[in-house]
Amino acid sequence: MSRTGTTSHPASDGLGLLSDDVVAVQRGPEPGGLAGAYRIFGETLRGLKTTFGQVVAGTTTVEYPEEKVPVYPRFRGRHRLHTFEDTGLEKCVGCSLCAAACPADCIRVVAAENDPEDRVSGGERYAAVYEINMSRCIFCGYCEIACPFDAITMGHDFELADYNRSDLIFTKEMLLQEPPVRTPLRREGE
Amino acid sequence: MPRPQPEEITFTIDGREVQAPAGLMLADAAKLGDVDIPVFCYEPKLGAPVGACRMCLVEIEGIPKLQTACSTPVRDGMVVDTTNDRVKAAQESVVEFLLLNHPLDCPVCDKGGECPLQDISYGWGRGESRFVEPKRHFQKPVELSPLIAIDRERCILCYRCVRFSQEVSEDYQLVLHERGADTFVGTFDGHPYSAPFSGNIIELCPVGALTSQAYRFRARPWDIEQSGSVCTMCPGQCNVSYTVRDDRVQRVLARDNDAVDDGWLCDRGRFAYQGAYVDERVTRPLVRVDGQLRPVSWERAEQEAVKLLGRSDGDGHTVGALAGSGTSNEEGWLLRRILTETLGSRDLDSRRDGALSAGLMAALDAPEAQATVEDLQYAHAVLVLDTEPVDDMPIVDLRLRKGHRRHGVRLMVAGSRPSSLDPIAEHSVRFAPGAGEAFVVALDAAIGGVGDVAGPAAAAGADPAAIEALAKDLREAGEDVVILWGERLTAGAPAAAEGSDPGANAARGLLKIAGRLGLTDDRAGAGLLQIPSSGNGRGLREIGFLPTAGPGYREPEDPGRDARGIAEALVDGELTVLHLLHADPLRTHGDRDLWQRALGAATGVVAHAQFLTEGILEHATVVFPAEAGAEKEGTVTHPDGRLQRLRPAAARPGEVRATWRTLARLLVALGGETSALTVMMVTAEIADAVPFYAGITHDEIGGFGVRWQERDAAAAFPQGETGPFTLDAPRSAASSNGALRLGTFRSVWSTPDVEHAPALRFLTPRQRAELHPDDARERGIGHGQRVRVSTGDGGAAVRAVAHLRQSAPRGSVFLEAGLAAESADAVSGPVVLVETERA
Ligand code: SF4
Ligand code: SF4
Ligand code: SF4
Ligand code: SF4
Ligand code: FES
Repeated sequence: MSRTGTTSHPASDGLGLLSDDVVAVQRGPEPGGLAGAYRIFGETLRGLKTTFGQVVAGTTTVEYPEEKVPVYPRFRGRHRLHTFEDTGLEKCVGCSLCAAACPADCIRVVAAENDPEDRVSGGERYAAVYEINMSRCIFCGYCEIACPFDAITMGHDFELADYNRSDLIFTKEMLLQEPPVRTPLRREGE
Repeated sequence: MPRPQPEEITFTIDGREVQAPAGLMLADAAKLGDVDIPVFCYEPKLGAPVGACRMCLVEIEGIPKLQTACSTPVRDGMVVDTTNDRVKAAQESVVEFLLLNHPLDCPVCDKGGECPLQDISYGWGRGESRFVEPKRHFQKPVELSPLIAIDRERCILCYRCVRFSQEVSEDYQLVLHERGADTFVGTFDGHPYSAPFSGNIIELCPVGALTSQAYRFRARPWDIEQSGSVCTMCPGQCNVSYTVRDDRVQRVLARDNDAVDDGWLCDRGRFAYQGAYVDERVTRPLVRVDGQLRPVSWERAEQEAVKLLGRSDGDGHTVGALAGSGTSNEEGWLLRRILTETLGSRDLDSRRDGALSAGLMAALDAPEAQATVEDLQYAHAVLVLDTEPVDDMPIVDLRLRKGHRRHGVRLMVAGSRPSSLDPIAEHSVRFAPGAGEAFVVALDAAIGGVGDVAGPAAAAGADPAAIEALAKDLREAGEDVVILWGERLTAGAPAAAEGSDPGANAARGLLKIAGRLGLTDDRAGAGLLQIPSSGNGRGLREIGFLPTAGPGYREPEDPGRDARGIAEALVDGELTVLHLLHADPLRTHGDRDLWQRALGAATGVVAHAQFLTEGILEHATVVFPAEAGAEKEGTVTHPDGRLQRLRPAAARPGEVRATWRTLARLLVALGGETSALTVMMVTAEIADAVPFYAGITHDEIGGFGVRWQERDAAAAFPQGETGPFTLDAPRSAASSNGALRLGTFRSVWSTPDVEHAPALRFLTPRQRAELHPDDARERGIGHGQRVRVSTGDGGAAVRAVAHLRQSAPRGSVFLEAGLAAESADAVSGPVVLVETERA
């Protein structure tokens, strides 16, 4: 058995390969013999050192979902739509810029004209329908960047699993609500 | 008139040598060299450039100052620079200047995403503004009309909308108020801008200042798809592009086709799409059970229809059929086959009244006598004969105005009712309502200089001197004369007038006139152009949906009954079943009384309809939901012979199915044969049967259509009736002793789709009686007073509001036909009494 060298294959000419193009691969020592047995023993001991090292290091398992790991402030989770604190009007004007920016094409906005008597948002128009399909969202945050009114921001909540795909289409009402369970935020220095 | 044939010149732009036709504006010529010059106010469709915005500044060698590319024609050897620092600085300054007062509220602006101001600010602007002073403020948005909202803060004063109103549609309603920085667009005194073509300014506005009330905030450009098709609401067949979101049409835009619509649309074509999504639309098949129309399954409805149509009473057939506006060639063809092949009936009609022989129709439609829409714009003279373009084929009204304004076409109008073209027409000759025949005979005599003019002129109730003057100018105008005439001219008379056939006589008269003016000898630029009474009148005529002609104007062995004949046969019981394809005779055909009796006597009425209009609601036995224009696939034929293609853009709501398929299924169920699995295969059947359509395919028709006269197969056009024609003495217009002659017209707004489109509903006409002030005074009627119009013998009366028009001819009164209520069709006599209404 040659340890290095070229395998001449009938197709190699067909591929236009010259023997210069073939790179020799360095192989390890042939298995077997006393040296081989020694090496196996040595490597096993090295592995066991790591294993027993961890036994004394103690447990670091987080008992999720009972316990939660705080997320970083810039973590991008479930979106929030915002309202003005003073007037209670929705910040979103239904401009669809977030939908244009979304690479997963998972935002659907249908705008409508505000009734001056009964305003929904501050501007001329508002989002009559605002839906995010969470099963398609990739949490890139482009929608947040695109929004000219800071109406949509990425929240911190990542527990979005559900039993039904259609429940993953979040409506405007859902997005305007506080999430049911808050995700802890990592504090300074934590 | 010879069309401009500019020579090619060579000029240099940004170091590139480019060939362009001489005289082309630099802004357009630059495109030929792949150079983009930003423009705001320049729009070639509006005619001469105005140079209002200064966005298009470029440097031209040898001229010290920067020049506006939109108003500088290219010349041979011109050297243009659009990229140097001087030009760049100018462009940045203009953008900055335009944005000084601009609110930049793109997120709430409906134009956002498809806005030239956004694009140009990004492409040629500085990206920041140094302006810190307060911007000007207006109330926003304001209703310019129920169709259009205006936001004056966003307006960049490019003048486009105003120019459209002043120079294209010539309604003169939009003006600029105030001066300088205070300038704003508006109407006199803030009246709503209401005009048949008003919607075009929405598309023209390069910013979000003018927005469509119907489309406002419906979608962004990235939410929608554009889908090209053809509007089928009137014979104009403008090319449109449907904006579709969520499988629904949200907006209709013009799809520029210079040979058809010149890039404009009327408001009906632009907004009537809304009717497809209202609750009143029929979306399930209906069958009459115990006197009530009830929703049933398609299978049941088809069985019922087959039962009705297939019922034979032993001798002869029992079914008649009418096809109306919105019918494609394929639908007409399949219904025609059902009648002629499986039911043995030739009683089918697509004209409104009166049949013309196949030979005469072929002579009038012969390729050598055919004028095109574009000819209207370059002719030496155009005679508009017995038609009101703005009602019958709105888009052609703009073409006539363009020809007159920009190419000096001499416009001559002859008709009964005052025309909106009168102010720009050189001659406006009036004749009595329904006296088109006599007028044609008189005009022929006057043009030929032979025979008696005064006699037929008196019969027509027209002024012989005016006819002579018109004839002289027509004769001397030049060799390119186009006669634009309405189908009504050849309407024929109610059966009473035995022996003479006024429709045929008028057609022969028209052919004689055409012969005398040299319109029939295959001269490009001259000829006849007929405006049919229904949207696809020409297509239905050519596939033989007529009692008197088979496919391709073939003479049938025994002609059938025309629309009126069908009604009479229904009354007499000779026919028992009526098949209505997009027609409701109570709305679409005159003589309401006759049709009411006919529908009442019919034992079965099968209808394809979008709305339950009166006749269908009360008399239909089976109703199949019809497709809206945007849902239909097939072909139609433009009045000048251009085959155009309808492509489905939106989903059919509810259970609506393709009408052609329903007809194909009926055909098979009734024992006919068709192997058509797609619309294209039906088109192929038509191409096999109509010699001059031979070999036509949807692919060949393509996006802009193809005129069959320009294909080789046109040689197979049959020989029509040839001269020399002798004219009968014309029927005299009903004398007016005390009574007034009744003239009717159908405005473009008197259709169910306008009534049902929420945006257009405000335009639904209410009946008014137009008459001359002197006639009114004699009867003690004042403007705006309520009047009754009746035949005076105790028959039906129409209530209307008197509308006095100085330009109305004496002795006549005009009422609108086709209305849902108080329609002129209720009064059938040629002479009527007009009385003030006693409260
Ligand atoms: S986070 Fe990204 S993928 Fe998710 S909705 Fe926003 S833009 Fe779309
Ligand atoms: S969330 Fe922001 S970007 Fe999206 S539609 Fe609303 S205002 Fe526009
Ligand atoms: S409203 Fe629009 S089209 Fe009219 S002048 Fe202003 S910017 Fe131009
Ligand atoms: S002119 Fe006729 S074809 Fe054109 S948009 Fe109007 S209704 Fe449609
Ligand atoms: S585009 Fe030339 S001045 Fe406006």
